[in-house]
Amino acid sequence: MQSGGLAAPACGALQRPTDLNPNIDVSGLVDREGGLVDRAIFTDEQIYRQELRRVFATSWLFLAHVDQFHKPGDFFTTYMGEDPVIVTMDKTRKIRAFLNSCRHRGARVCRADFGATRNFTCTYHGWAYDLEGQLISIPNKEGYSDSFRAADWGLVEVPHVDSYHGLIFGTWNPTPESLRDSLGDMAWYMDAMLDHDPQGTVVVGGVHKWVLEGNWKLAAEQFASDWYHVNMSHASALTVLAPSGKPKDEVVHRTGRQYVDPKGHGHGFPVHPRNRFDAQTVHEWMDYAALRERLGDARVEGPLTTGHANVFPNFSYLPVNGSIRIWHPKGPDRMEVWAWTIVDESMPEHVREAQRLYNLRTFGPSGIFEQDDGENWSEVQAISHGFITNSVPLNYQMGIGSERHDDRHRGITSELYSDAAARAFYGRWRELMNTHAWHERKDNE
Amino acid sequence: MSNGIRVAALEDIPEGEGIAVDRAVTGTEDDIALLRDDDGTVWALNNTCTHAEASLAEGWVEGGYVECPLHASKFCLKSGAVQGLPATRDTLAHRVEVLDGEVYLFPGQQP
Repeated sequence: MQSGGLAAPACGALQRPTDLNPNIDVSGLVDREGGLVDRAIFTDEQIYRQELRRVFATSWLFLAHVDQFHKPGDFFTTYMGEDPVIVTMDKTRKIRAFLNSCRHRGARVCRADFGATRNFTCTYHGWAYDLEGQLISIPNKEGYSDSFRAADWGLVEVPHVDSYHGLIFGTWNPTPESLRDSLGDMAWYMDAMLDHDPQGTVVVGGVHKWVLEGNWKLAAEQFASDWYHVNMSHASALTVLAPSGKPKDEVVHRTGRQYVDPKGHGHGFPVHPRNRFDAQTVHEWMDYAALRERLGDARVEGPLTTGHANVFPNFSYLPVNGSIRIWHPKGPDRMEVWAWTIVDESMPEHVREAQRLYNLRTFGPSGIFEQDDGENWSEVQAISHGFITNSVPLNYQMGIGSERHDDRHRGITSELYSDAAARAFYGRWRELMNTHAWHERKDNE
Repeated sequence: MSNGIRVAALEDIPEGEGIAVDRAVTGTEDDIALLRDDDGTVWALNNTCTHAEASLAEGWVEGGYVECPLHASKFCLKSGAVQGLPATRDTLAHRVEVLDGEVYLFPGQQP
């Protein structure tokens, strides 16, 4: 952190040496046009540290759903990259986010997953902060000199928090482009999940959390770009779900499109006039005619239901299940999956429950699809540290040159089976990794 | 009800919570916290925690005790006796009466 950066103290001075954070040029590790990726980006510790500085500390990151906050003091603790944050509703009912670390010795000031509180008190020495992050209590305050000002030692606040159709995002970037601008045309696709009717969505059940031995990008990339794995990886699940035990040809050989976003988002979806929600109770409740009226035929026949999506860098969702999840990075070799189930607020209780159970059984932590995906990512990661293994480039060449404007969907799309959105994901990653972040820039830059 | 000050309507104090009555009203050294236990009864203690600058009216009221919202010391609602660290000194309890849904405070009188 340069002087003048985040939370510079009013008294005293530190200067972090720049060689503590070496600058690695990653341009040779991702060939977006040629469709090649070097496996070092999944395993190297220094590259990982640079990701935290330049990808996670600069991007809009998913924090929580607005339905988790109903009254002042409601809070939810999560991570932005590896940084612990408290998301809370202040006394003016504004959603704010703070670094969950005491300004004194750095312990977390909130150690619960979620709840309601009046203050955040550090369990180490008792420094206490109000819902606005102000330091309001310092035991033995008379031990500090007259120049000590509590106002200088409030919780470090996430400078920008905003929401899109109930999804709350935050960024450490003090001068970001707006959340809406950062989503670009991806928002058109997200609306197919989040904007079925004016009431929007709510959360059902709690947040599932589980650990996977795999780099976070393996999961984010797959949700951005990978329908290709479905028939192979999920063969057993598709077989079990087929009433006859034999999946129909139209299920196995699907056609569709893949949205390719210049900022690294991605979304693949089969296209069919009779696309439907998988859970029978949800399917029967949905008013497809009203959805066509509200969202248009192209979205109802595509992004509304079966598909996969990732908002760069690490927020993913599955419209058909109401699954939203974040891939928290935990070192180059590990991620934590945090997953919510969201449903339309207008859904009656029995429909909500049907969707909750369907998501739990397919994409919950032990879901029949989720288990397949986790196995693949862990398998890839487990061998990635071998020297020869790590030196052999990976192939992302499916659908090179297929990206185009089609006449039904926003932005640029490719085929359903394509690596195009993955190439865009890694292209955006390379761009951010090779750009000095806001906290690295001198004042005159 | 002689000397009692009508300070609140009972319905203004949710069970498990409290409100502070300003010292300008009570004529006492400290503000007084009206604290409503989870069984519905109302008690009154000096509002400022004896450990640090904190309002017990913003604390958690449950099972005969109020827990300070800042550092989690607990006080007996009935007697003001401190139950545990970091506070070490008891606080002052005041008499409260509820009549026809109105809360009357008797500053300085024992409950």
